[in-house]
Amino acid sequence: MTNLFTSATDSFQSQPATAPATGAGRAVLQLTGIEKVYQTRTIETVALNHVNLTINQGEFVSVMGPSGCGKSTLLSIMGLLDEPTSGTLELDGRPVQSYSDKELARLRNHKIGFVFQSYHLINDLSVLDNVELPLLYRSGVGGRQRRQRAYAALEKVGLGARTGHFPSQLSGGQRQRVAIARALAGEPEIILADEPTGNLDSVMGEEIMDLLLTLNREQGTTIVMVTHDEQQALKTQRLIRFFDGSQVS
Amino acid sequence: MIRHLFTLMWNRRRANALLVVEIFLAFVVLFAVGTIGTNLWANYRQPLGFDYAQVWQLNFTTGAQPRTEQFGTQRQLMAELRANPQVAGAALTAGNTPFSFNDSQTRLDFVEPHDSTRRPSGPINTYYIGPELRAVMNLELVAGRWFGPADAVQGAHVPVVIDERLQRAMYPDGRSALNGLLAGNNEPSRRVIGVVRAYRTDGELQEPLPSMFEAILPNDTTFLAQSVLLRVKPGSGAALEKQLTDDVRRIGPGWTGTIRTLTDMHTVQMKMRLTKPLLLGSMSVFLLLNVALGLFGVLWLNISRRRGELGVRRAMGATAGGISRQVLGEILVLTTFGLALGLLVAVQFPLLGVQNVRPDIYFTAMLLAAGALYLLATVCALYPSRLAAGIQPAVALREE
Repeated sequence: MTNLFTSATDSFQSQPATAPATGAGRAVLQLTGIEKVYQTRTIETVALNHVNLTINQGEFVSVMGPSGCGKSTLLSIMGLLDEPTSGTLELDGRPVQSYSDKELARLRNHKIGFVFQSYHLINDLSVLDNVELPLLYRSGVGGRQRRQRAYAALEKVGLGARTGHFPSQLSGGQRQRVAIARALAGEPEIILADEPTGNLDSVMGEEIMDLLLTLNREQGTTIVMVTHDEQQALKTQRLIRFFDGSQVS
Repeated sequence: MIRHLFTLMWNRRRANALLVVEIFLAFVVLFAVGTIGTNLWANYRQPLGFDYAQVWQLNFTTGAQPRTEQFGTQRQLMAELRANPQVAGAALTAGNTPFSFNDSQTRLDFVEPHDSTRRPSGPINTYYIGPELRAVMNLELVAGRWFGPADAVQGAHVPVVIDERLQRAMYPDGRSALNGLLAGNNEPSRRVIGVVRAYRTDGELQEPLPSMFEAILPNDTTFLAQSVLLRVKPGSGAALEKQLTDDVRRIGPGWTGTIRTLTDMHTVQMKMRLTKPLLLGSMSVFLLLNVALGLFGVLWLNISRRRGELGVRRAMGATAGGISRQVLGEILVLTTFGLALGLLVAVQFPLLGVQNVRPDIYFTAMLLAAGALYLLATVCALYPSRLAAGIQPAVALREE
């Protein structure tokens, strides 16, 4: 195995927040010695190199670093969408490595909300149907309840009047707000946002950032956000920097 | 989830329109083939009404013999045939013998016994036969009696034996047709003296018509039957065939005779009756194969195009199995759209009574066609759904 990337530093523990912490509590995500290596026949790429990281309940953490440094891979692993090559990930103090696909799906559904740079809305579903999506995969939530919770989530992001619209009829900022509403509908403890303002202009970006900050402040939702925007990152409680697969600050 | 799938597929109806049309057309073809097949099967399951093994058909031509002499020669021929130790029975008959593709149909009026009102019948297969036919063909008498010596005397009504189908047509309320009257125009009316199970000379696959037998009177000099049905003893073969045709030539000056076994005639008829349905069936198999390839290709392409969406669904909490079931569910929903259109068309056939096919046959064909298409869709979706289930959500989302 050829390690094409070398870490600038070894692993780091959680750094002090760059903004005042508001009620940081127990660790909801604990990454210990996480490595992720992508291997093809001819090349081996280390995406994450021995990452140790703790995300506490109620924290708003931003992750920065150049393209290809492993930020999105980190988010995928945190979001149980990808498995680390080695290391341990604990969610609420329980290691998830041995969980079955069904158990991981259940955890994703109940605990984690995702917001993506390119929104990832389903264009053939209305705004309301898109927001209902996480609840569709949750047993015990009936159709009426799904609708009510989806409406409530859309109200929160200021799109209560757009429920019947389709994504193609919305602006980029509105689409991202729908994506946030979708993440909120399942009432997750953690929101993982991968460059949520990356495709938006500065005004729209500010709007979305304010929305995420409000969620964190008022509802105590734990948020981990990957961003390239230093100004936005500084608004969060803690900033983690990555370089070549390793956490550098 | 079912509502979600219907919403999703309905919203994608334009993109999937061609697929829905393809399923609709496949349903129409399958419905047509299914109707033919079900009809054939329903006909096949009904009793034939006679036993044709060991029965031969002798046809003779009378050459230039004067007509007045032909009846005497025919009686002599019949006497010699019955006297042959290899012949168990011989019955004269008109040319509409089993599996011969000949028929003789008439339309009569059913006469109500209490008020003599008339009700027109549909076509009735009419057989002019010698009284020995029952024994030769092992006809099953279910009510009344067969022709006897008393019937040789011309009475006010012509005695007839009918089959159960004609009895049901005369009296749909289930009454017995014995002594019932069938009247024609400018001809003597017929009185029913007996009922046999059936006599389906058109074979097992043909829609059976009601049947009626009239006995050839011994002294009849108006109609010369030129066919004889012979029940021969087991083991009879070419030697007997030669002997019988020689007898025809010997007895009748200028007469010739040809013999065929009903078993051979049955085989020929089955082949002819099955040719068209088998051709249609083969064509529909090719059509289904094309539909299957189309479905498979479209599904495969869809999975490739929708990797991002499937990745999002995994992120939202869908299991790999759930994704697989969704892909399967989507194609079943599309199939349902196509079938709904097809059923709208198909249901007109029993409602309008097209081709006089029984409604239950149409409905069975609808069920069979729908079932076949659901099965086809499921089989075609299995592999693409497994592909979809295998998509790594992180990879799919990164690709987007």
